Amino acid sequence: MVGWASTKKLERKETDMTALSTIEFALPAAGKLPESLQLYRQKSKTGLTEIASPTRKTESWKYSAKRLGLQESYACVTPPSADYQPVYALDCDTLILANGRLQSHDLNISGLTIKAFADLSDAEAQRVQSGLVAQSNDLQFATLNAACLQDGVYLSVDANTHIAKPLKLVIQHTGEGMSFPRIFLQLGKGASICLIEELNLIADDQPAFSNGVCDIVVEENAKLQYLRMNLDQSSSQFTASQQPNCKHPNCKHIGATGVQLMRNARFESYCLALGSALGRHDLRVKMLEPGAECSLNGVCVTRNKQHYDNHTCIEHVAPHCTSHENYRCIADDQSQIVFNGRIHIHRDAQKSAGSMSNNNLLLSSKAEIDSKPELEIYADDVKCAHGTTIGRLNKHEVYYLKTRGLSEEQARLMLTLGFVLEIVRAVPLDEVAEFWEQTLSKALLTQSELSLESSDDE
Amino acid sequence: MLRIQNLHAAIEEQEILKGLNLDVKAGEVHAIMGPNGSGKSTLSQVLAGNEEYGVTAGSVSFAGEDLLALSIEERAREGLFLAFQYPVEIPGVSNLQFLKTALNNRRQHHGQGEVNAASFMKLAREKIKQVNLDPSFLKRGVNEGFSGGEKKRNEIMQMLMLEPKLAILDETDSGLDIDALRVVADGVNALRSPERAVIMITHYQRLLDYIVPDYVHVLANGEIIKSGGKELALELEEKGYGWLGIDEEAGA
Repeated sequence: MVGWASTKKLERKETDMTALSTIEFALPAAGKLPESLQLYRQKSKTGLTEIASPTRKTESWKYSAKRLGLQESYACVTPPSADYQPVYALDCDTLILANGRLQSHDLNISGLTIKAFADLSDAEAQRVQSGLVAQSNDLQFATLNAACLQDGVYLSVDANTHIAKPLKLVIQHTGEGMSFPRIFLQLGKGASICLIEELNLIADDQPAFSNGVCDIVVEENAKLQYLRMNLDQSSSQFTASQQPNCKHPNCKHIGATGVQLMRNARFESYCLALGSALGRHDLRVKMLEPGAECSLNGVCVTRNKQHYDNHTCIEHVAPHCTSHENYRCIADDQSQIVFNGRIHIHRDAQKSAGSMSNNNLLLSSKAEIDSKPELEIYADDVKCAHGTTIGRLNKHEVYYLKTRGLSEEQARLMLTLGFVLEIVRAVPLDEVAEFWEQTLSKALLTQSELSLESSDDE
Repeated sequence: MLRIQNLHAAIEEQEILKGLNLDVKAGEVHAIMGPNGSGKSTLSQVLAGNEEYGVTAGSVSFAGEDLLALSIEERAREGLFLAFQYPVEIPGVSNLQFLKTALNNRRQHHGQGEVNAASFMKLAREKIKQVNLDPSFLKRGVNEGFSGGEKKRNEIMQMLMLEPKLAILDETDSGLDIDALRVVADGVNALRSPERAVIMITHYQRLLDYIVPDYVHVLANGEIIKSGGKELALELEEKGYGWLGIDEEAGA
């Protein structure tokens, strides 16, 4: 992988490079952050001057930089009233991060610490900075997130504690401007929890930019189920229907998740992404001690002129670790999906086992999917496989279903949904799996309607 | 029920059916035999509405309607069913899922209400048992990883669910062992009634031991050149097609 520093030189020569810091972000006040986080914020802010806004020559932004369009200035949105109505029934505990600010709550869960960043002890604040994303210097927007740090939620599960109810984090962006949600989660030894991240960007056809970071540490023998749903919606377009969509060309939703896995730790992720004007998720997993295991699953559906970029990176640092990855993407109309999946097996990571599969479906001749598996293997005793496919709907399958009396539309919907259903059905919570299925059916059903709309836009 | 008159059909400008005539009445079972390349499968695909085939002349009426004017799904909803020679595999879509939609489309077409979930499940379990497949096949992807025999039995199961007026079996018997053949035959026989008709396309006489046809036709070079009773099949089995003046190799 090309490092950030080396591409920067190229850009300086060839393009009018803009450092991220020169874009007029009205940086929010630091608030009441603990001293070490204030320093961290200051350091990141200084670091920004060294970081160029990605262009298409930036390898990791090759297909998505054109969607960034950061020339306009963003204000930082102020916390709105957090009116959140769950869109599906689930017995869970809920925390709301409204425009990056943790909303007051009355959760009192035994074995689970919930704190706003302002209330962190020095040790806790240090931990936040030791997260995988926090430590990465090639995630430009994570640095921007740190430079704009205001608040965040700190979660810690005590050792040997199983949190029975899933914990739902609603990460809501409302209104014009930028928000910088930040999450830190630590699972003590032998702990387990199911964390649901529900991301919503609600903007009335105004430019909006949500730029989040979630850092996770899973200690020895602990287990995390991580369900991440990007359900962007533009309220002016779809008021009542909860239709996931974000139509404003300046709706951007970027997020990075970093996971550190210790001995025999397990991490299972299920990511659902419905495209924004620009959506992006960087998911990084680092297996630092033997016996760790991760399973990364994703479903991504885009329509219209939406764009979604999935970047995943699995690092086998220690020997005897296992990783599985399975992403399915469907792009319709003139939309674009990027899948960049990297598996990096370090020299000492003998007996690693990795498998990566990425299957893609193009529903229109103007849609684009760019799939890029990257395997970097330095150990010699490993099992590592990857496979990627890009195809269209099979006309024989459509015909077969029609001979049974299904309409063209029913057949196509069934087949497109069928393409991702394997992953949807594997989602550990039935209620969430069902919600995914309904959301995807709705998204795929409204396709033809939106195709018409988008052609009007031309 | 089905009247085919002077049917001409072509694929990629090559004419396969060259003036085919066939009359099938309710309650009848017809067997169509013939050498490879004679147009047997083309006939079944044209009747089902496969758009890869073009009808260049002739007419087909089905239950009083102009079949050729109907879309693929309308034909199915009217009660035409084709059991495929090579059923496709559809991972991710289960039998249960698409059969429920198929059945409800049909019911709606005939002015009936939707079938409720419980009675649909009961029906599906009953029919899957009838073709001797494990109920787990209902939830698996359509034909996904099924053996050849299981795929054919699954076709029969779908037929039993949808209760067509006219069932067309395109070489459903080929590649089946004797037990599977019996299951298929039992399924077809269970469906036989004065209101329904069956067209069986087959290479082999042995299926006709289990499903006794009312008529046997020989299709060669895109036309039906001989028709007779069930004895005709036995005669073909014994003598081959040569005595009818057909060069078996030519069409293959």
